[in-house]
Amino acid sequence: MISRVDPEFKQELHKYGLREWNECFHCGNCTAICPLTKDDNLFPRRGIRLAQMGLKKQLVSSVDPWLCYYCGECTETCPRNANPGELMMVLRRYLTSCYDWTGISRLFYTRKIWELAAIILIALGVIISFLVFLPPSPDLFSKPQAFINEQGGVMINSLANGISASRFVQLIEYGDLLMAILVAGFLISNIFHMFYRVILSDRNLKFPFYSYFTEFWSLIYNFVTQARFSKCDNRTYWIGHLLVMTGYTIMFTLIVAFLKEFQIEEIKPWYHWQRLLGYYSTFGILFFLIYTFIGRIRKTDLKMQFSHPSDWMFIVLLFFTAVTGILIHIFRVSGLPAATYFTYLIHLAFLVPMIVIEVPFSKWSHLAYRPFAVYFDRLRRAGQNRQSIVELTPAI
Amino acid sequence: MEEIRIGVYICWCGTNIAKNVDVERVAAEAGKLQGVVVARDYKYMCSDPGQDLMVKDIQEMNLNRIVVAACSPRIHEITFRKALEKAGLNPYLFQMANIREQVSWVHDDREKATQKAIDLVTGAVKRVRWQEALNKRSVKVNPATLVIGGGIAGLTAAREIARTGRIVFLVEKEKSLGGMMKKINRTFPNLDEASKYLNPIIEEVSSHPHIQVYLNSQLVKLSGYVGNFIGTVNHKETQSELEFGNIIVATGLKPFKPTPLSNYAYKRLPNIITSVEFEEMLSKGYIRLDSRQEPKHVAIIHCVGSRNPDFLPYCSRTCCQTALKFANQIKDLLPKAHVYQIYADMRSMSKGCEEMYSKTAKRGVMFLMYDQKGKLPYIREAGKNEKTRLVIEMKELLSGEQVEVTADLVILMVGMEAQETSKQLSQVLGISRCSNNFYIEKHPKLDPVATTTDGVFIVGSCQAPKEISDSASQAKAAAARVLAMINKDWVEVEVITSSVREEICCGCQICVHVCPYGAIEFLKEKKVSCVNEVICKGCGTCASACPTGAIGSRHFTEKQILAQIEGVMLQLLEV
Amino acid sequence: MEFEPKIVAFLCNWCSYTGADLAGTSRMKYSPSLRIIRVMCSGRICPTFIFKAFQEGADGVLVCGCHPGDCHYNEGNYKCLRRFKLIEKYIRQMGIEPDRIRLAWISASEGKLFAELANEMTQTIKNLGPSTIKAQLEQMV
Repeated sequence: MISRVDPEFKQELHKYGLREWNECFHCGNCTAICPLTKDDNLFPRRGIRLAQMGLKKQLVSSVDPWLCYYCGECTETCPRNANPGELMMVLRRYLTSCYDWTGISRLFYTRKIWELAAIILIALGVIISFLVFLPPSPDLFSKPQAFINEQGGVMINSLANGISASRFVQLIEYGDLLMAILVAGFLISNIFHMFYRVILSDRNLKFPFYSYFTEFWSLIYNFVTQARFSKCDNRTYWIGHLLVMTGYTIMFTLIVAFLKEFQIEEIKPWYHWQRLLGYYSTFGILFFLIYTFIGRIRKTDLKMQFSHPSDWMFIVLLFFTAVTGILIHIFRVSGLPAATYFTYLIHLAFLVPMIVIEVPFSKWSHLAYRPFAVYFDRLRRAGQNRQSIVELTPAI
Repeated sequence: MEEIRIGVYICWCGTNIAKNVDVERVAAEAGKLQGVVVARDYKYMCSDPGQDLMVKDIQEMNLNRIVVAACSPRIHEITFRKALEKAGLNPYLFQMANIREQVSWVHDDREKATQKAIDLVTGAVKRVRWQEALNKRSVKVNPATLVIGGGIAGLTAAREIARTGRIVFLVEKEKSLGGMMKKINRTFPNLDEASKYLNPIIEEVSSHPHIQVYLNSQLVKLSGYVGNFIGTVNHKETQSELEFGNIIVATGLKPFKPTPLSNYAYKRLPNIITSVEFEEMLSKGYIRLDSRQEPKHVAIIHCVGSRNPDFLPYCSRTCCQTALKFANQIKDLLPKAHVYQIYADMRSMSKGCEEMYSKTAKRGVMFLMYDQKGKLPYIREAGKNEKTRLVIEMKELLSGEQVEVTADLVILMVGMEAQETSKQLSQVLGISRCSNNFYIEKHPKLDPVATTTDGVFIVGSCQAPKEISDSASQAKAAAARVLAMINKDWVEVEVITSSVREEICCGCQICVHVCPYGAIEFLKEKKVSCVNEVICKGCGTCASACPTGAIGSRHFTEKQILAQIEGVMLQLLEV
Repeated sequence: MEFEPKIVAFLCNWCSYTGADLAGTSRMKYSPSLRIIRVMCSGRICPTFIFKAFQEGADGVLVCGCHPGDCHYNEGNYKCLRRFKLIEKYIRQMGIEPDRIRLAWISASEGKLFAELANEMTQTIKNLGPSTIKAQLEQMV
């Protein structure tokens, strides 16, 4: 089936934050300057072309947008102000919504109010269920000393009325588990959808089965080091990104898998691994947040010039999660049980929607899509049929 | 007889000649030839210091013949002749050896090229010895001008000249003035109405007391020479004989008929029209299909016929800008319609046109590139379920994808070709045509509106396809040239004519019969032939036909040419 | 050493000489065997010129004019054509191979054709070998 060009596709992309890019006349400067593009991944030029022509099928089967880390050099070099870097960003949003089979992602990206409503709804749900299942102890204000341990810190798991510390952690852990299953379920199915569009639906693509295993290291390697990102010229941004990614992942792992070791009554000395990891994550996340806040407000850095509501939503949620997290720690150490309880509640009200909404349906999903894109890209390269790629090359 | 003192100058032409020719050796060899007093090589002979060098030598060394080995005499012969005049020498005592176009630019083997250059210089030295001083002839210039073609170029030229009070004969083969521009609705890049500019000019020209307009007319015969032409103009059954001093040719072009390109299905499927037909539609103020509905998808296909080795191998120059103009006009009239530009290369040159291109792109027009060297786009009728009328199948070059384009209306941007009458007119006027049948200018850079025939100028699209503003500039340039000549009142004409040595003429009258201009008269009393030098154009056909050698072609005499033959072969003797 | 022929070429000013100039400005490489002599019209080319060239040792003679109908002087090229037919007969009687002379129409835009013609003719003459006319004439004297 031959694809038909679709001039109305740009209206669709407009919803994902597209500005003007039809001015592009394909000089290829963007691809020439790009430090990441390789001979057969001609981004951003090819992506712009497919978007201009409205070739959705080709766009969805392409991983190129994920291989771009938006250093902004293409946009700086563009003689026509077509802003190729931003287009790649828009395409990432578009692809995220395409991979999501439920359609929730598309709804959130294109109708901003829905995303906000969903966040508020989940936050309210968290608050209500917390108050119902783990109501505050009436002694919080009258007898705050009852919640203080030997080190003078607040015993965080004993603040709910009539619920033992072990039961408290147990319940939180159940919640965590439910959230993890939900998020993982959506995300994994989305990744499989991506795999289908990128690899399985291409009938001409043939590569040896062992490539699935031999190329797998690239997924891990890229996830951990974000090595491709480091090739962009601005290394500060890569470091910031690496910090936030590792900080976030560590935190996520601690609260989901090691809650019993992490959230304990006893306050360990500052050099304990649990506190060190916490400090590291806090530092990483804060460093990144400050960097991006300043960037997105000053708009001098090209990649932060245009902010889609989804970009703000993501950093604002992360910001409040981080700040409340820090406050919990401060209140605990300072021996303020009531403040600790309510900050903990607010912390969850930000944290849960951030994870439930952002990870499978919005910006956070790139955490998974990017390394998988590198993996799928390597699988494609392992393929023998490179005919279409060879034909493309002389066009630049 | 005076002693022959020859000066030989070998030009380096920067590195153009010096790179492939050992100019010093050529000069040294030339110095050994009989009669050569001085032989030099110099970086740029045509430059002021180069000419001064020559003038100084002539005056100080008493030179009386000059040879310059440099570029083609078609470029700088006049320059050097003027230098001779400046030095007080008759300009016809000069000969050029073409060692650039005929040697350094076409031969890589330095040794062989140098050898050839020496041969050519020897030929010129041998020839120049026999060259004679000729006196230039001045003739009065008839202040009337013939303008052929009533399009924007012809109209502008006619108006410019007539405004100074000179007579203009304007000959137009169609039944009305305006030419191609009359068919244009709006002009690019500003989308102004073409008639706004054209109509006042037509009005002024038609009613101007100094312009005689001949409609439905053609120039069929021309005689005379610069300053004094006599032309025969046919109009319907009648003929007029007109006298004028200069001719401005502004015959324009015609659109290519796309029927031979069967992939575009022109006239085979409905709603496929040419750019010219679309202009007509726009002039009527609407865009619609055969069914009178408004189109939702309009595809504009570029380079139809142009840049296609089987049809018009050149770029027609105005179609890209016109296509962008169309896109804007469509978007103005039908804001919801989708416009596709299916192009081979966007060449939106000229002032303001790149800006128009960029602005058009912003209006959401889709640009799709096809491969002109590969398979051209193919138009087919849409199937029943395809929700459209026409489908264009194409390989999109920038994405590498085979795609289909939906279209209700297809506009074919047809190329522009030379008029069918261009050959016939070129023969009447004695001017040359390029391989694409457009007229050739005297020099592409330095003399773009003149032709090799003095007094004949070419303006507008008869020289090559061009836009309105370029045509108007050329028309004004040619008008200025003509007016300058009229103002001067006289013009120097070539004295390279034939002449008869009556004492040898046997009166056979062969020359009288071979002369294409009837310039030779047989004097019955003397029983010899006599050349009317005003009519003679100097082709020399009579000279080669004369059995006794009585009739000679000045500056191309038998002696001169035989000496040149001897000269170019001389090296062989010495080897 | 390889035989490098010398060909005398008579070119009319308006079409062929301009065509040869175009070959130059287009930097088309061709064999250096031609020695071009400019005349105003191919109609000026007298049989004497051709015989003189052979007498002086030319291995071939090329005559070029405007295409039929395009002559700057209306019909000089037709006259050249008619003369050329006679010259062909004549040189055959003289014992010169008829391939040593050639008439071609070159327009002002046919620089490429001119370059090709020069190469082609050079090859023809190379195949024929050097002309012996000059030596024979010298023996007779």
